[in-house]
Amino acid sequence: MGVKFFLIFLSALTTQNIVFAYFLGICPYLGVSRKLDTALGMGMAVTFVMTLTALITWPIFYKILQPHDLVYLQIPVFILVIASLVQFLEMYFRKALPHLYTALGIYLPLITTNCAILGVALFMILKKFGYILSVVYAFSTGLGFAMALLIMAGIREELEMAPLPESLKGAPITLIIAGLLALAFMGFSGLVKG
Amino acid sequence: MLLPLLLMGSLGVIFGIILVVAEHTFRVEEDPRLKEILSLLPGANCGACGFPSCEACARQIVEGKAPVNSCVMGGEEVTEKICRVMGVSMEKVERKVAVINCNVDNLTRKIQADYQGIQTCQAAHLVMGGGMSCAYGCLGFGDCMEVCPVEAISLKDGLPRIDREKCIGCGRCVEVCPRKVIELIPRHKPLVWVACSNPEPGKKVREVCKKGCIACKVCEKLSGGLFEVSDFLSRLKYEEISHKEVDWEKLVEKCPTGCILKED
Repeated sequence: MGVKFFLIFLSALTTQNIVFAYFLGICPYLGVSRKLDTALGMGMAVTFVMTLTALITWPIFYKILQPHDLVYLQIPVFILVIASLVQFLEMYFRKALPHLYTALGIYLPLITTNCAILGVALFMILKKFGYILSVVYAFSTGLGFAMALLIMAGIREELEMAPLPESLKGAPITLIIAGLLALAFMGFSGLVKG
Repeated sequence: MLLPLLLMGSLGVIFGIILVVAEHTFRVEEDPRLKEILSLLPGANCGACGFPSCEACARQIVEGKAPVNSCVMGGEEVTEKICRVMGVSMEKVERKVAVINCNVDNLTRKIQADYQGIQTCQAAHLVMGGGMSCAYGCLGFGDCMEVCPVEAISLKDGLPRIDREKCIGCGRCVEVCPRKVIELIPRHKPLVWVACSNPEPGKKVREVCKKGCIACKVCEKLSGGLFEVSDFLSRLKYEEISHKEVDWEKLVEKCPTGCILKED
């Protein structure tokens, strides 16, 4: 069992990386990867919300939707859950953890519309994971997202000083790098089965 | 047919109720002025004030940690409205303007090495001062021009020129300048300042620049102590400027290196 957890963890970081393999969450991946500290903030916020999403959507799917033959409703229901969850968290953080609230700042509400979160909720159903496994999967996928963001931010900080051709500056080089990184991560394929 | 409607409806209602309850239980008592100021700010989250968002800026203003004129984008109009909310009078807000405490352009800048590196002040400053003889003067790559949110700075012959009309005194150029030659000074008419930042003795300043302050103290005598020379560098005491009558024309004329600048 422990080995299985580890494999899920490893594959979510490398072969099945949500950004590099599935191309989900590309918007924040390109949007908030300009600086390392904001990238870290966003990465942590996404990891946190992803884990909580798995914690809540799994029972809703298996205890309510599946028994009543309402599986086709999973997307609207999951979106509803994620949006409410983020709202709730924002209120709670503001009261109980103001430091975390200011640290996450604008990123928390941004996550509401992050497709990577919904993607994870749908994947864990698709892959028929158990409850604990789903949570582990969501958590490690979040970490994989954070890792992708941090790698990108690190490269982009270096790029600031690089002598680039005028026409490549800004978005073009960022997209090229995103492509090359995804290509590089393909090198992990075969590391973990499944 | 009924079940999915019921399910979605009830889920929506349940989450709605949870959020309403949460809103009440987790309500944070906030200064009512915060909301008011937030509605006055442009809401663009541009970051020119130095805070990550308009909300953070409003928070700092309410707590008195940031001046009422923090909002760069909103300018005077917004400042005036914020003044009203905060109960401060507009007159008390000292408006500042940026000046460059250096007066060399490409023609007068003495160079001891040819710098071919990255064309920014920040980079040139790191590499032996970009080949410039004076270790304190303006490098002239225009980093300040890049950060200016209102495009008040333009480069002419390798020396930034500041459009005092456009300048809003946000101080971003002051922060970015690696040589620290830009200073925010109170707006006065005429605007007078010593355009040199070299704190070395006159002889050494002369070796590296024709236009530097050589600490001859002529301005100190002529102005009756309004200028003060310390560390071989003359500085105008802005806080006393309104108490004294000074013949600025004569002063500017008498400065042997012409490093006192005046703008009407």
